[in-house]
Amino acid sequence: MRTVGQLAWKAVARWEMLLVLLILAAGVWSWTLSSFFLRRANLLDLATPYVFLGLLAFGLTFVVIAGEIDISVVSTMAVSAVCFAQLWDSGVNVWLAAAAALALATGLGLVNGVLIGVLDLPSLAVTLGTLAAYRGLAYVVLGGDAIAGFPTHFTNIGGGYISNELPIALLVMLAFAVALGLLLHATRFGRYLYVLGSNREAARFSGIPVMRTRVTVFALSGFMAGVAAVVYLGFFGSIQADAASGSELIDVVTAVVLGGVDIFGGSGSMLGVLLAFVLVAELRNGMQLANWSGATQDMVIGGLLVGAILAGNAVRAAQARGWRLGMAGRRWKEVHHAEGQEEVSVRATLKTPGGGSTR
Amino acid sequence: MTALVDLRGLSKSYGGVHALADVSVSIDSGTVHALVGENGAGKSTLVKLLTGVIQPDEGELVVDGESQRIGDPQTAHRLGIVAMYQEPTVFPDLTVAENVFAGRHPRGPGRTVDWSRMRADAGRILEDLGVELAPGTPVRGLGVADRQLLEIAKALSSSARLLIMDEPTAALSPNEVENLFATVRKLRERGVAVVFISHRLEEVDAIADVVTVLRDGRHIATRPAAELSHGEIVRLMVGRSLDALFPKEEAEIGDVVLEVDGLRRRGVFSHVSFELRRGEIVGLAGFVGAGRSEVARAIFGIDRPDGGEIRIDGRRFRPRSPRAALRRGLAYLPEDRLQQGLVQPMSIAVNASLAVLPDLTPAGILQPWRERRLARRFIEQLRIKATSPAQAVRGLSGGNQQKVVLSKWLAAEPRILILDEPTHGVDVGTKADVHRTISHLAAQGLTILLISSELPEVLGMSDRVLVMREGRLVAELSRSEATQERVIEAAAGVQEAAA
Amino acid sequence: MNTRRFVSAQALAEAVVRLRELGIFVALAFTILFFSVRATNFMTADNWRDIATDVSMVVVVAVGQTMVVLTRNIDLSVGSIVGLTAYVSSNTLADHHGLPIVVTALIAMGIGALCGLGNGLLVAVGKIPAIIATLATLAIYRGVLFEVTHGQNVFASQLPQSFLDLAAKKPLGVPSLAWIAIGVALVGAALLRWAPWARDFYAVGSNPDAARLAGIPVARRVMTAFVISGALAGLGGFMFAARFASVDAVAGRGFELDVVTAVVIGGVNVFGGSGSVLGAVLGALLVTTIQDGFTLMRVDEFWKIFFNGAAIVVAVTVDALITKRVQEALRRRRRAELLTAHERAAET
Repeated sequence: MRTVGQLAWKAVARWEMLLVLLILAAGVWSWTLSSFFLRRANLLDLATPYVFLGLLAFGLTFVVIAGEIDISVVSTMAVSAVCFAQLWDSGVNVWLAAAAALALATGLGLVNGVLIGVLDLPSLAVTLGTLAAYRGLAYVVLGGDAIAGFPTHFTNIGGGYISNELPIALLVMLAFAVALGLLLHATRFGRYLYVLGSNREAARFSGIPVMRTRVTVFALSGFMAGVAAVVYLGFFGSIQADAASGSELIDVVTAVVLGGVDIFGGSGSMLGVLLAFVLVAELRNGMQLANWSGATQDMVIGGLLVGAILAGNAVRAAQARGWRLGMAGRRWKEVHHAEGQEEVSVRATLKTPGGGSTR
Repeated sequence: MTALVDLRGLSKSYGGVHALADVSVSIDSGTVHALVGENGAGKSTLVKLLTGVIQPDEGELVVDGESQRIGDPQTAHRLGIVAMYQEPTVFPDLTVAENVFAGRHPRGPGRTVDWSRMRADAGRILEDLGVELAPGTPVRGLGVADRQLLEIAKALSSSARLLIMDEPTAALSPNEVENLFATVRKLRERGVAVVFISHRLEEVDAIADVVTVLRDGRHIATRPAAELSHGEIVRLMVGRSLDALFPKEEAEIGDVVLEVDGLRRRGVFSHVSFELRRGEIVGLAGFVGAGRSEVARAIFGIDRPDGGEIRIDGRRFRPRSPRAALRRGLAYLPEDRLQQGLVQPMSIAVNASLAVLPDLTPAGILQPWRERRLARRFIEQLRIKATSPAQAVRGLSGGNQQKVVLSKWLAAEPRILILDEPTHGVDVGTKADVHRTISHLAAQGLTILLISSELPEVLGMSDRVLVMREGRLVAELSRSEATQERVIEAAAGVQEAAA
Repeated sequence: MNTRRFVSAQALAEAVVRLRELGIFVALAFTILFFSVRATNFMTADNWRDIATDVSMVVVVAVGQTMVVLTRNIDLSVGSIVGLTAYVSSNTLADHHGLPIVVTALIAMGIGALCGLGNGLLVAVGKIPAIIATLATLAIYRGVLFEVTHGQNVFASQLPQSFLDLAAKKPLGVPSLAWIAIGVALVGAALLRWAPWARDFYAVGSNPDAARLAGIPVARRVMTAFVISGALAGLGGFMFAARFASVDAVAGRGFELDVVTAVVIGGVNVFGGSGSVLGAVLGALLVTTIQDGFTLMRVDEFWKIFFNGAAIVVAVTVDALITKRVQEALRRRRRAELLTAHERAAET
């Protein structure tokens, strides 16, 4: 008799397996476009232009698992990069400037955290506002100018290569993937995030420091935006206030959702997000090879985002139905809840703006 | 005369536990039909069947002589069955008139909304019901009492024929109760059937025509209200033999561990004072809404009390949060285990270790083997039926889920354990296990405050029984003094006439 | 005795509702006063015509956004829809000089409505949270625009003179675009007041479960709201083309932020259920006036975006705090009443 645990694991494994399959399929497609694709140099370098997106996605993953959303991450990265550039341009030592940028990014994340975690404001509305406010700050600091020419030992982080082949950015990303993966899956903090996203009330009742955890998770997201800024600066070599004001946010959200992270919180894995990121990078690379315009590429990613959520909804609905059929005679359904509504009941009772009235 | 609604042989069970067993009741139009019974007698299950929230395993629902399948709340609504709960369902951003006519606005020329007619019609409905509400009032400013009256007006305007009121007077002042009753009487005059669930027997007296008593999921009696005295109702509610007395171990009762002095929360409870001693099991009885869980929550730091003092081992304790309470040795097993006690998709091990995670994670690193070891310990100790510590809690039966919640708190090694309906919705076997554990814990020196609506459990396990009613502590009975009748009488405020 | 206390609680709630719109009005008045003193040429007819033209586009799209936000959703794709329909309007006119302008506007609205339908399907049927769905369609519709333009602009020289003159015309001294905005605002306000299905938006946003129970077809209403938002964004696109003549593929980028800011400042609650067209219009006026004033004062235009974002955060915070305060105050008063009533009863 299969236990729920085993069934659930199967479901999770299936999703990551699916991602791997998609990555392979996308690889085949890219190869048909150009045999250049399979060269080692290309494969290694495939993700480099997008590493900053991956870092942002990692940070966002924590927030979404905790049951919130943060759409200000790209703006945070932009303003952090802009401030770094301005500082450096005014003569501050490059590493000090970088540290200041990281601190700023974390601080901006903290602002989100306080508004959402302490004042209990809806994360959607707040981060919609800070998305604009932080971007605005970037404009205020740098105006229409651009700054470039950063020292090589700094830009190497985002744009440098080891023995001309191995991108340092890739190593940075993998390092963070591992570190953040450990943070998410192997620490108490990470455990608290899953519980929060699953059932905030139970978390509070069990003595979990809810407010502190929520504030921290936004600060973490902000910090990762700062790291992403460093990589961005390194790869592109220059910065303007309107940097990354295009499809980047969609790519980040898509990587997270496609990675199997439930948009409503409570589940997801870092491995999934890493794989999804690789897939997104691979698709972009392939579409570039196929000479599709940027806008068309954005359409594809947008479609992927929508598809991922629909798929997630369908899987969840099927699981709930399978539940009822398989466990009918053996489960106790709490007298206070309607059949099959338990999993959704907590979320359904939380009024979220922009989250719709159709749930 | 055919009844408006006829319930025939309704049964509903969850995982082997009968919530309702072969219940048949007839509800006639133009009557106020009181539904009484202890907590867990099956009243809310009955309401859920009527309103389409759940479906019966057996039996049929006959409305207007035709058998119906009420598959969802909208169907019930269309049949004219409307339920009102303690938390009124309103549109807080709209006005009274708009609430009454939501989705069914009176139309004027060109099928536009006819505001003046809506106001006038709403005004008329309210006036007919004797409700003093201006149609243009924004609902946000209205209190519970007015919202309830609004809900009634809304039900009436949507041609409800059966109005179910679930403990409607719990949050009302005596004046407002009178208002409500006047409105209910008007409803009756218009031929609406009202099912009135309440444990306040004086209200049953004041308003009901017929009384149906449920006990343990079974229909016990349906009689005209005039024929029943309070004492008789109580006897019908509890009239069971107390054969299965629980194996309570002898425990040495020591010093006072917890003192509650004049605890107060505005509008919820006041003047609550009691003591708990080491090794004691103190039962806290009372009806829903009496304030028992609220007292527990205040002690445990979930809600902030407005006044009074709590002392643990003689030292003042200010409960700021569950974490603070935990650190002082308190633990609280909440009433709603699914919503508040468990994280459903996660495993037994994760749930069981939730409250003590800081101790199991040196430097913040998770050590799943320690969690599993902890889980295994409790699986054995509490006899939890599961395949492994990794099994998701979602897949367990209610009783086993409850044991997992209990494990979580026991893992924290509390000195004072507050249990809120620990065997609610739990099968007999598990019940016995839980009781054995509780009694064992007390013997080991733990102090237990047992909030329960199951009288046999309260009487069987407690060294002392405290009874709450309407936010106050109204009785304290020793083990020898406590009988089912005396507890219910205190809980219902019945003055037992001679004989 | 009871009625007196009751009246004051009721009055409190009513006051809060009115307060919001009054508050913006006061802020607007103060803003105008401030700029008339500090900014040169602020109070000239020319400047006000500029403001009127600028604000018109925002108002038109904001009316649609208001309906969506009322249902507890949001539409971030309006910027892309504006760009898309602006281009289609220009392009169609460039190829068919004889086409009546009204027909062009209708085509734009039709395309906008289709886009809105797409949004509505994703949200109401696909059950995707509106924020994510419209973030995705923001990209998708922008992508469609890029495809359609093939990287080319439509130039003013290709457009019929009658169209180019449209924005410059000033019937009765008010720019024609402003008349469109006035018309849309009036129709929108009328619908929200008198059309039963539009009234349902409020119910759906206020308490979706209760709405369902009351027999309101929630999914259909949500889709209608999105379709209207899309159609009005289409009209906004038409107006964009009329105003700027030359339309390229980045037209309308970031416009959604202006619209959402106007709506949020205007007191339309992000939680749904309350708000009005009047509020959105006032919000749009306030935002545009401040930006215009800053421009005249030579303040860096770059503060504009920051201001928008900060305004959203402040408005949301204030709204949430006020709602919480009011509810807490009402609850506390309620509890006090109850307790005294109980104590009195217990003493008898």
